[in-house]
Amino acid sequence: MAAAADSSGDGGTSSGEKTIVLVSSDNSARFEVREAAALLSQTVRRMIDEAGADASGDGITLPDVDAKTLAKVLEYCNKHAPASSSSSAAEAAPPAEGEEDLERFDREFVRVDMGTLYSLVTAASYLKIEGLLNLTCQTIADMIKGKTPEQIRKTLGITSEFTPEEEDEVRRENAWAF
Amino acid sequence: MSHDSGSSAGAGVESLSLDLLAHALAGVGDPRDRKSCRLASRAFARAEAASRRAARVLRREALPRVLRAFPALSSLDLSACAGLDDASLAAALPVPDPGAGAADPPPGQLLLTVRRVRLARASGVGWRGLEALVAACPRLEAVDLSHCVAAGDREMAALAAAAGLRELVMDKCLGVTDVGLAKVAVGCPGLQRLSVKWCLEISDIGIELLAKKCPQLRSVDISYLKVTNESLRSLSTLEKLEDIAMVSCLFIDDDGLQMLSMCNSLQSIDISRCNHVSSLGLASLIDGQRFLQKINVGHSLHEIETCVLSKLSTIGETLTVLRLDGLEIFASNLQAIGSTCKNLVEIGLSKCNGVTDDGIVSLVAHCCDLRTIDVTCCHLLTNDALSAIAENCRKIECLRLESCPFISEKGLERIATLCSHLKEIDLTDCRINDAALQHLAICSELLILKLGLCSSISDGGLVYISSNCGKLVELDLYRCSAITDDGLAAVASGCKKIRMLNLCYCTQITDAGLKHVSALEELTNLELRCLVRITGIGITSIAIGCTSLIELDLKRCYSVDDAGLWALSRYSQNLRQLTISYCQVTGLGLCHLLGSLRCLQDVKMVHLSWVSIEGFEMALRAACGRLKKLKLLDGLRSVLSTELLQMLQACGCRVRWVDKPLVYKG
Repeated sequence: MAAAADSSGDGGTSSGEKTIVLVSSDNSARFEVREAAALLSQTVRRMIDEAGADASGDGITLPDVDAKTLAKVLEYCNKHAPASSSSSAAEAAPPAEGEEDLERFDREFVRVDMGTLYSLVTAASYLKIEGLLNLTCQTIADMIKGKTPEQIRKTLGITSEFTPEEEDEVRRENAWAF
Repeated sequence: MSHDSGSSAGAGVESLSLDLLAHALAGVGDPRDRKSCRLASRAFARAEAASRRAARVLRREALPRVLRAFPALSSLDLSACAGLDDASLAAALPVPDPGAGAADPPPGQLLLTVRRVRLARASGVGWRGLEALVAACPRLEAVDLSHCVAAGDREMAALAAAAGLRELVMDKCLGVTDVGLAKVAVGCPGLQRLSVKWCLEISDIGIELLAKKCPQLRSVDISYLKVTNESLRSLSTLEKLEDIAMVSCLFIDDDGLQMLSMCNSLQSIDISRCNHVSSLGLASLIDGQRFLQKINVGHSLHEIETCVLSKLSTIGETLTVLRLDGLEIFASNLQAIGSTCKNLVEIGLSKCNGVTDDGIVSLVAHCCDLRTIDVTCCHLLTNDALSAIAENCRKIECLRLESCPFISEKGLERIATLCSHLKEIDLTDCRINDAALQHLAICSELLILKLGLCSSISDGGLVYISSNCGKLVELDLYRCSAITDDGLAAVASGCKKIRMLNLCYCTQITDAGLKHVSALEELTNLELRCLVRITGIGITSIAIGCTSLIELDLKRCYSVDDAGLWALSRYSQNLRQLTISYCQVTGLGLCHLLGSLRCLQDVKMVHLSWVSIEGFEMALRAACGRLKKLKLLDGLRSVLSTELLQMLQACGCRVRWVDKPLVYKG
């Protein structure tokens, strides 16, 4: 999805929509996306508001999101972006795709390895994309359902640093409370 | 947090901040899953604590820590907290400091997030504890104090200080009078839901003041009170009233219902067991309602007359629940109901005379959205009725068919094939056999299966059920005498989520069968009455395996001795209710049992022939502060020391003395 660098961040696509250029943390990749898609991120929205029209010429650098994760995030944004491109309507307008279609997309979207999933959670939080944050967090929650502590550790890649005494204490509390 | 673009391993879970982890764990609802999270790692334990919204405390020693460790706690359930009393509650709660300056940190952070507190049956908590609670939780919105039998006006005064209170349940708080109700009404003007069931001292005067002072009331329950039509006059002034229940209000009649019809925003009315109301009163109440969804007139009218049926058409769009239990119902009535109330979701016809296949057929022909059908004791129904239900009501979830002797596997086959959503079915006292269970096994969503008194059910039937009904939570095999250990083996392997199991009088079961049952880790309620072949060995395996056990009934298990009870003492630390009447326990075993089980509060021990008087004295003293209900042989009343009996009473324990002859059964 890495498009050739545009000299003007506000360059139009062939369909005449406004686009925005987002740059990954290590400057290795630049992505040109529809404004409606980019504005799903409250952080990007704030950056544009603060920087004004002229600063977006060089693209917006996102210091906390690497290239791979940014690509994936933008995949989500493009799919969930509203049809209308005007920034004021972006929040209120429904997405262009049908709901079932989106659900299917979401399900496939989170079929990734744990490392990518964690990166997505952090990125969604930093970029303040509510839909993506809820989706990824719920995916983690769903992975926990019905599992023993050992299974949870295995699935989510956790190492337990509990000492035996600490673990006993937690077990006792589990029995006495809740 | 940026990563090397060359790193292929990706982020670990450590990269998630505590907030993000808590956000993720907020999506984990099941209490068992949350417990597993706490054991996964320290970070997870912290995140779980940060995101936990509800806590149910079982031991009062854990209370101080729980209240401090969970900053997001919104709902606190103390109803099962063994031995909770004013002193321990007040000691655990943070104390608001009236004179705290900006520089000094307050002695304890107030519980700002706690909104709901449940203290049902917490008979040790009185006004002191409630005062401390209200002071510590400034945002308190909902309190449940039901069955705190000793609670009275002083307790109500304590609650009246919670100005933001919106919901209050005071069922069976027998000491509450109009005075206490008035205090709450004045102190909590924002009250929206109030239940004063069984608070017999409350009269029309109290209700009148309540209606004046709490105009926001939406839901009121005055069941079993001796109030008259005047209370209904008062309540009719509440503009927002949606939900009213007056079960068994024997002094209310048609005039009162007429007055109540002034409220035209009613959504739910329950006038069951009010034997002075008639169809005319009900008709005048329904008249003019536009939002009525639920009507319960069970056991109040004699039959449902045309004046009511014609009014039903005005609410036919909105009515979803209709309970007519105990009424005389004719096929024409059901035809009329069906054709006017097409959106019915639940119909109650329990113990209704006159319900025939024709009636059911015409009802379900129109009401395709029915999810619950209760035809308990409708003796005339046959498989034809079931076929009609199966064909028309594909969404059916709950079928109550107790005592319908003509129902057989043919009808159940239709149900099972066409109604895949079936979750609950009650076939107690029906003449069904294993073939019926073979058909029912198709219903993989089945949660509750009641087969009491079905003596033709055998192990084969259980094998069918266990093969596909993995979600089963409750299984009732009361007096299914053909069941043996093999049947239990099948159940234990296929239905691992079972929580309630009734095996009373299935006398062929032995310790081997109980060994299978011990594999059910989620088992909470187990009834084993009169299983004469089981011994301490079987009980030991249950005690070790079923760690969640809360209720156990061993009445007439003549071969269970101290060894079995010793295992309970050691392992069943969550046990709250126990029946050991007629068991072979000695004084030592009993003492050990009652001394070790910290949560035990309800014990039935009639005819413990091997326990001496000294044995009873020691055992009951050991558990005095915790016991709430006891059932003992009447003969003991005169031989136990008065000091002990007074102590029990002082600790809030109610003793039932029964006079039963010593007779061996089985």
